[in-house]
Amino acid sequence: MFIQGLANFIDDFLGGLMLISYALIVGSLIWAAWILRIWDRSSAGAGAPEPVVAICVRILKAGAITLAAMQGTKLLIKGLLLAATLGDFPLGAYMGTVQFIAGLLRFILSCGFIYLAVQLSAAPRNRSAWNTAAVLTVPLVISGAWLVHGVGRFEHREQLMVMTVIHQLAAAVWFGGVAQLLFLWHTRRSEQAAHEFWPLAITRFGWLGAASVLLLVSTGLPLAIEYIGSLDGLFGTGYGALVATKVALMGGALYFAYRNRKAGKEWKLRGASADLTGKVPYFIEAETFVLVGVLFVAATLSSQPPSVDIKDTTATVSEVAYMFAPRLPKISSPTHEQLLAGEAGRVAVVDKVPSVAATEWSDYNHNISGIFLTGMCLVAMLSYTGRFRWTRYWPVGFIGLSIFLFFRSDAETWPLGPIGFWESTFGNGEVFQHRIATLLAFLLGVMELRARTRPDADRLRYMFPVLSAFGGILLLTHSHAEFELKSEYLIQSTHTAMGLLAVVVASGRWLELRLAAAPASSSRTVAGFDEGHVAGFLSILAMFVIGNFLMFYREPLY
Amino acid sequence: MFPRAINQSGRLMPAIALCLLALTPKAWSHAVVTESSLTSHPVKPNHPTKVVLFFNSGVELALSRVFLVSKGDVFHPVNIANGKKAGEMLVDIPPLEPGDYALKYKVFAADGHFTENVIRFRVDNP
Repeated sequence: MFIQGLANFIDDFLGGLMLISYALIVGSLIWAAWILRIWDRSSAGAGAPEPVVAICVRILKAGAITLAAMQGTKLLIKGLLLAATLGDFPLGAYMGTVQFIAGLLRFILSCGFIYLAVQLSAAPRNRSAWNTAAVLTVPLVISGAWLVHGVGRFEHREQLMVMTVIHQLAAAVWFGGVAQLLFLWHTRRSEQAAHEFWPLAITRFGWLGAASVLLLVSTGLPLAIEYIGSLDGLFGTGYGALVATKVALMGGALYFAYRNRKAGKEWKLRGASADLTGKVPYFIEAETFVLVGVLFVAATLSSQPPSVDIKDTTATVSEVAYMFAPRLPKISSPTHEQLLAGEAGRVAVVDKVPSVAATEWSDYNHNISGIFLTGMCLVAMLSYTGRFRWTRYWPVGFIGLSIFLFFRSDAETWPLGPIGFWESTFGNGEVFQHRIATLLAFLLGVMELRARTRPDADRLRYMFPVLSAFGGILLLTHSHAEFELKSEYLIQSTHTAMGLLAVVVASGRWLELRLAAAPASSSRTVAGFDEGHVAGFLSILAMFVIGNFLMFYREPLY
Repeated sequence: MFPRAINQSGRLMPAIALCLLALTPKAWSHAVVTESSLTSHPVKPNHPTKVVLFFNSGVELALSRVFLVSKGDVFHPVNIANGKKAGEMLVDIPPLEPGDYALKYKVFAADGHFTENVIRFRVDNP
């Protein structure tokens, strides 16, 4: 039991990293074919120069190494989880599961890609290695069919498996392409060929990106209908809410994709575009934040039962709306003794007695955190007026919040409760995530405070969006103890919404920082707004809404 | 754009996928109980009972465990077997005194996820 919670959490987290690395491999192959045109034998000179191909190979290699590492780790973690959950380890039975076989196949295939990437690093135009890589991609893509929900359905099994594989492929093309653009841009300073190829890459990827989005929607829609089935299923279950979150994030990513495509078209028509180098690279960076969020949501989806299977425990739309309804925050807490008195009944299996004290304790924690965050955001908004220098210190609130969380998050553990610090951290997935969140809040405070008050802390500024994105991922993959699906979901619904907003916080702040460095002429929209400031304000606004959700949070009694 | 070999493998992809789908054994994913015989056939006191759990999908029986939980949260492992239909699990319940009990199941689904859950039930006096 000691490692079970941690293993469960890592298992879901690895799923997201595996989707990212899979997308890097598959996306790189498609990129090589359609954007770099490495198989083009015509004399038109449409193919990319060797240094640009070398960039593609580097990403392919990184994806292959990461996928091998993640897939291998996942197989081990799954074994550990089995041993911890069952109390013994039936190795033969585990190795006989479709999951293990498909996972092992992916591990072997990714090792093959590492070998090919090493060959291609030495000779980027090695046609034979590219051909082998293209052929290897087929089983890599197909093996995914046995790692998805569809494999276990009684009806439409094969269709669902194929549909999900195509859906994943489309996502891989999009994310993989965006990653390639990102590295192409960052290599342009040291590589003239990358600089010259940049506009061509943007315009060519426009079509490929559009096709992948079309494929994503045309496969995602029937999958959603099959697995969700109703409006209550969409908003009243973890699976549905994550799909809705995925759609919302996709909308954001599509906006950035549209802006990039527009700049590409302008360059094609006029032979020049200020946005192509002034804004597009930063939009692509922000798009990456959003797409990483999408992939983690997709990975988390696989750990949720489809909505259609849990109709009896589906929350109604009004029950979910109640979770977000404004109300007076709770500013008094039960005592620690009252809380501990109700713990035995709360965690009992047979004679379970819901603990009012535990619910009120949790409400108080969330509401006070919300007051902290809302107050911080109001001061941060004030800082945009530029009139009050003291408002720069708003990140101090994060440090205060982290101290509060450290003492209050898990009352049954050290320093307040009887369960030891390490035992609780690694023995319970929920406590483990709370500890990470606490550390994250502290780091956010310290780093952002230095970044906003010290002119020489340029690089440190970027830690805030990065940590916000990580916090968002943590919220999107946040799990509470099982057994009460409906109550758990009502709690999860708020965490999912906050995770989505945290991604907005991250990409907005990132854009603000990046566009601040762009030439003044290119940082304004037609309407005359400074886009960087708008993005930054939206980021703070999203954080303000998170603060509100926390301030009004009420945990269902269960 | 692609050389002939890759073009051919591209055309073969749907065929390869279908072959693999046909060859693979049936397997099951994220398992939750959608129904149980406890609802229609309550456990009678002091009688061994076979409880049927209906999952939304099949489970890997060798990697799954079910426990009978009695008062004071005492866990007793119970025997499990596959039912007649896919997604059915048979659980052997020993003779029980009247009182409150629960079945705690930990099942491994083919999508690689564990599902842990509890079904509470009561054994009433006849």
